Amino acid sequence: MTAATLVLRADLAQIAQWIPARSRVLDLGCGDGTLLHWLATHQGCTGVGVEIADENVLACVARGVPVVQADIDRGLSMFARGKFDVVVLSQALQATQETERVLGEIGVIGHECIVSIPNFGHWTTIASLLRGFMPVNKRLPYAWYDTPNRHFATVKDFESFLDAQGFRIMERAYLEDDQRVQWLCNLRATLAVYRFRQK
Amino acid sequence: MAEKFGRQLRGGEHYRFGFDVEFEIESYLRYQGEKFSTYFDANTYLLITRALDYFDPAKDCQGDLAAALSSIRAQSLLISFSTDWRFPPERSREIVEALLAQKKSVTYAEIDAPHGHDAFLMDDPRYHHLVAAYFDRIAQECAK
Repeated sequence: MTAATLVLRADLAQIAQWIPARSRVLDLGCGDGTLLHWLATHQGCTGVGVEIADENVLACVARGVPVVQADIDRGLSMFARGKFDVVVLSQALQATQETERVLGEIGVIGHECIVSIPNFGHWTTIASLLRGFMPVNKRLPYAWYDTPNRHFATVKDFESFLDAQGFRIMERAYLEDDQRVQWLCNLRATLAVYRFRQK
Repeated sequence: MAEKFGRQLRGGEHYRFGFDVEFEIESYLRYQGEKFSTYFDANTYLLITRALDYFDPAKDCQGDLAAALSSIRAQSLLISFSTDWRFPPERSREIVEALLAQKKSVTYAEIDAPHGHDAFLMDDPRYHHLVAAYFDRIAQECAK
């Protein structure tokens, strides 16, 4: 990892490494625009973020990141003709309502896709379930009755889902908090990041 | 409008079955209409309405808005208000889509406000903060 990527959150740093210089990027659920700002500054990338929250839209504008305020669940037709090299969906897929449709759409919009998901197969989740409770921790801080997350998957679930949806995984990275995990990934990874494209 | 006036009657609880002002909404519209007629020449409104009707940016490009916007060199900021019927969010989204299709730099915000088209005249902090932040960026980039 280069020194420059160290200022990014671990999963964003991983995503940034897979995005070629001067790419045109669509960042769905871009938050305050950190990733796009970094990519524009260090890699000469262009593109646009998509956000639903007013305060995040304002944060993007304040740092000069182009942003479109929209609800990903209401369809991505606005971006269909946008000719994006890479579509990024970072820790947002589990909060979408029509996950299957969203994934299908981003596969068409972008030449490549990079998606990160929380791994529900992490050993702490299993331990919590064995104790009889849904997990509530710093990574999944929501009670079952009050959570934005609708769809949880394990890394194995997600990988077979990508395959069934007609995608080929080009690269993958498993992270436990901020560290890369190399073995027993399905149990140790808290977050998985995938780079994939249509077969 | 439904929230503000609903079917409220101007006088009492019973219909009067006449042609005079019956509902609160009529009273409001008449009052606003009277007020407007003292501010503006009614003919300017006819003219503006006509101008809006004739506004057809994609006319010279056979309805292809993306082609019509292809020569834009500036960055664009679009803001729409959720209850604006004159310039509804759907139309703004069409412009955003066309600009994106041309790989233009575009920022779009959709502000959830109950004031309809007049929202842009109100002191809405989300709207004002966005415009201020956008202009600040322009100032910063010009200063470089």
